[in-house]
Amino acid sequence: MITAIDLSRFIRRATPDKEGSAELTARRIYILPTRYGFLFGMLLCAMLVGSINSANNLGLMLTFILAGLGVISIIHTWHNLLGLRIQPEQINPIFAGQEAYFPIRVENRRNTPRPGILLEFAGKTMSGIDLDSNKSGELSLHLPARRRGILKPGRFTISTSYPIGLLRAWSYVELDLSCLVYPEPGPSTQHLNPPSYTPSATGDRGVGTDDFAGLRQFRQGDSPRHIDWKAAARGKGLRTKLFGGDRADQHWLDWDALPGFDTEQRLSRLCRAVLLACESQDEYGLRLPGVIINPARGAVHRHQCLATLAHFEMGSSE
Amino acid sequence: MNTVPHNSIPSRTLFTHILLLGVAVAPHFQHLNLWLVSFYFVLTFLRLAVANRIERLPGRFLLLLLSISGLAIVALFQTRPVGKETAIGLLVVVLGLKLMELRYRRDIYITVLIGFFIIITQFLYYQSMLLASIMMCVTLGLAIMLVEVNYIQPPKSPWPSIRKTLILVGQALPIMVVLFLLFPRLSGPLWNLGLDNQSAITGFSDTISPGSVSHLSQSHAVAFRVDFTGPIPEPKKRYWRGLVLWNTDGYNWTTGKTAYSQAETYQAKGKPVQYEVTLEPNHQKWLFSLDLPAGHVPNTRSLPDFQIQAIKPITARFQYKLLSYTDYSSSGLSNAKRQQGLNLPDNITPRMRKLVRKWQNATTSNREIVNKALQHFNQEEFIYTLSPPSLGNNPADAFLFETRRGFCEHYATSFTLLMRIAGIPARVVAGYQGGEINPHGGYLIVRQSNAHAWTEVWLEDQGWVRIDPTAAVAPERIERSIDLDNWADGAPVQFQNLDPGPLKNLIRQLGFSVDFINARWHRWVLGYTNKRQNEMLSLFGLDFLKGSALGIAMVAVTTLVVLIITIGILRSNRVYTDPVLKTYLNFCKKLAKQKLPRLSNEGPKDYAQRVIKQRPDLAEPITKITKLYIGLRYGQVNSPESRIFFNRLVSQFSP
Repeated sequence: MITAIDLSRFIRRATPDKEGSAELTARRIYILPTRYGFLFGMLLCAMLVGSINSANNLGLMLTFILAGLGVISIIHTWHNLLGLRIQPEQINPIFAGQEAYFPIRVENRRNTPRPGILLEFAGKTMSGIDLDSNKSGELSLHLPARRRGILKPGRFTISTSYPIGLLRAWSYVELDLSCLVYPEPGPSTQHLNPPSYTPSATGDRGVGTDDFAGLRQFRQGDSPRHIDWKAAARGKGLRTKLFGGDRADQHWLDWDALPGFDTEQRLSRLCRAVLLACESQDEYGLRLPGVIINPARGAVHRHQCLATLAHFEMGSSE
Repeated sequence: MNTVPHNSIPSRTLFTHILLLGVAVAPHFQHLNLWLVSFYFVLTFLRLAVANRIERLPGRFLLLLLSISGLAIVALFQTRPVGKETAIGLLVVVLGLKLMELRYRRDIYITVLIGFFIIITQFLYYQSMLLASIMMCVTLGLAIMLVEVNYIQPPKSPWPSIRKTLILVGQALPIMVVLFLLFPRLSGPLWNLGLDNQSAITGFSDTISPGSVSHLSQSHAVAFRVDFTGPIPEPKKRYWRGLVLWNTDGYNWTTGKTAYSQAETYQAKGKPVQYEVTLEPNHQKWLFSLDLPAGHVPNTRSLPDFQIQAIKPITARFQYKLLSYTDYSSSGLSNAKRQQGLNLPDNITPRMRKLVRKWQNATTSNREIVNKALQHFNQEEFIYTLSPPSLGNNPADAFLFETRRGFCEHYATSFTLLMRIAGIPARVVAGYQGGEINPHGGYLIVRQSNAHAWTEVWLEDQGWVRIDPTAAVAPERIERSIDLDNWADGAPVQFQNLDPGPLKNLIRQLGFSVDFINARWHRWVLGYTNKRQNEMLSLFGLDFLKGSALGIAMVAVTTLVVLIITIGILRSNRVYTDPVLKTYLNFCKKLAKQKLPRLSNEGPKDYAQRVIKQRPDLAEPITKITKLYIGLRYGQVNSPESRIFFNRLVSQFSP
């Protein structure tokens, strides 16, 4: 690693346009022989010297056709990347300790196929694809998320050695990739989850499912399972049974309920508590120093809570 | 959808690859020993048997064992100290061992590269067009293998890889042609590796003994080809002079030292014949010329008796231009030479002298004596045959009086001896007589079967006169070629029938076509030396390009070719844009020049509205164009007329 001067600043790379996709243009593509390409070059030199020495014209012809093949494949390898469009796909949040997965769309807008497109990251080949003409496909980049917060993989490489593998063309791509990493779910802490029954100020409106709360006139759209069929049979008309209890398992997940733990441990435990609450379809709220999220349910609420945990004291928030 | 590249070699690729390598190696089997061939066969078989269960390939220990045994075979069975065969043996062993390590896709590169190298070593032995074509196919095949392993998913059909490879090779061909034509040729090797062992020499050596010419005559191999500038001389004038043999010990005839004697001269009659000879390598110094040559061939010595001798033995195909006169009268016989032309060996027998005395008694004219001798061969029971009986220590005597069966060298040498006994200076000339005209190429093919020997006698009024005693026995020999196909051992020679029948004629015609192609192959591919390169360059007036200048020219032309190909690739693969969109973008560009550029988030309608607001004067054309554009691109308008109209609107639009 060069630390004194960041040489990477001088590297030409493909950066995203307004729509977030990047195009591999001519000046952004690098090309060098592979290990076998260098070997091939040495072989050609040996063949050339041998052919000159024995004044062997057939030998020269073979040497020259192979040399021509090498030169031509420089163009073809470079051309295999030229004009390729690269675009990030939707990235799903993950928990720390899991592997972050960045799907990346590569689009071939040409009438000829582009086989052998590879995505490399941190010196490893992550995925590859053979793109047909005028088709797009998905490559992916994955890396383990160790810490909560925002994970940005930064620069990755799109490369190819098609057609003959003796040359490798590559381009550095820097897309706006970021993956939200929730804290790692810690051990569940019992006293965080006791339901704290809070009486509703407006009364039970019968949107729960647990306790029978009364009857009302049938309305269009009510579930037939909730119709009081016995009453209907007695000729009392269609009535819908109402159930209450939706306030029953409402509780607060509170930072202050976890004394004696450091910040990360608290966040881990709170994260686990959110997951448990979701599993049991409880209504829950989150109280962190300086942040209060009112009790609610559902995927959006879950994401909001977990994201708050992920960003807590990370300096950036969304 | 997305996968890490498949690492194992697809079976189809694997089997094809091993097969191709087998074809590349195969021609070497005949100069490798049987153990080595079996070694390679066993390893190939093993690799094919293992197929894709790579875990069954030999481990490190077994591989070491195999390597040692391979090297041991090379070391134990090599015939001579480090020769070409040893190097090739090693190469084959290495390739065999690498087959054992052919596990993953990346391993294929090594075997492909070794394959290329083995192909080039084939050309050290054979340069025929057939082998070259086969090896070109193998090269193509190996390149296809490279393409095959560069797909992420093993391709189901081989055609895309084949297509791609053909495109690559097709584009590499012009580069090859430029490099081949312009690469500066050296006149000699950079250094001599000492690997060239003289093998299979066909041609005259510097000695002629009974049986040496007839032995040569049994070969169909081409000795040389001749391109004539004018008409081809008639058959009886096609005497190709090679060696002039003065000295004999009664058995062998040799040229003797002639270098320092006074040069012979001749008075030419008639028109000269101009021609170019392409001599096959014969590992000898003799060049052959139509009797008698005029002028000098560069890099050779012209000897006084019209022999032409190369400075070094001819190991590569050699071309030279010459001028000859077929009618002449020569002069200038020094006393020393006269003496040499009358020298007799010790084994002249009384009956030989008696025969000559009989002729001398009848006439005093040397010319008459020559004629009498020819009559003798013609009228007595002499038979012309390719396999005469063995003659013992005194071949001339035995041939003249006992066996009377012989080939041209028997007639020529014994006739020469008889002349010398008669006091007429005489010498033996060896070379070729005749040659077939290839109707396709208009050139003459002279084969080893045309090898011939004749006599020259010195007649005071004419100088050296060519006498062919064979013609006295078998005049057909001079007009036609020997029919080797119908020749039985020991039988009198048959001559090619002038009308050989339709089938044979067809075969001969085919033979001529093949030889024509072969001749072009030799001339333009194998025989493209620095001399021919100069000729080619001067054809374009570029003969001032020499050495490093030529090298620079080569690089420049190659770069130009690569550039043209690159432009071709870029043009043929541009992203397709709808012509309607193109025209519309043209329209936008015109507005952008008026500082009214279209924003990236703006649709055509919004854009039009905004522009009209700022430039109400343009409202009419803009509305028309935008409406038509939307109709053409997104709507139902599709007629060619409306496209043309749209184009016209945009081109006439000038804000």
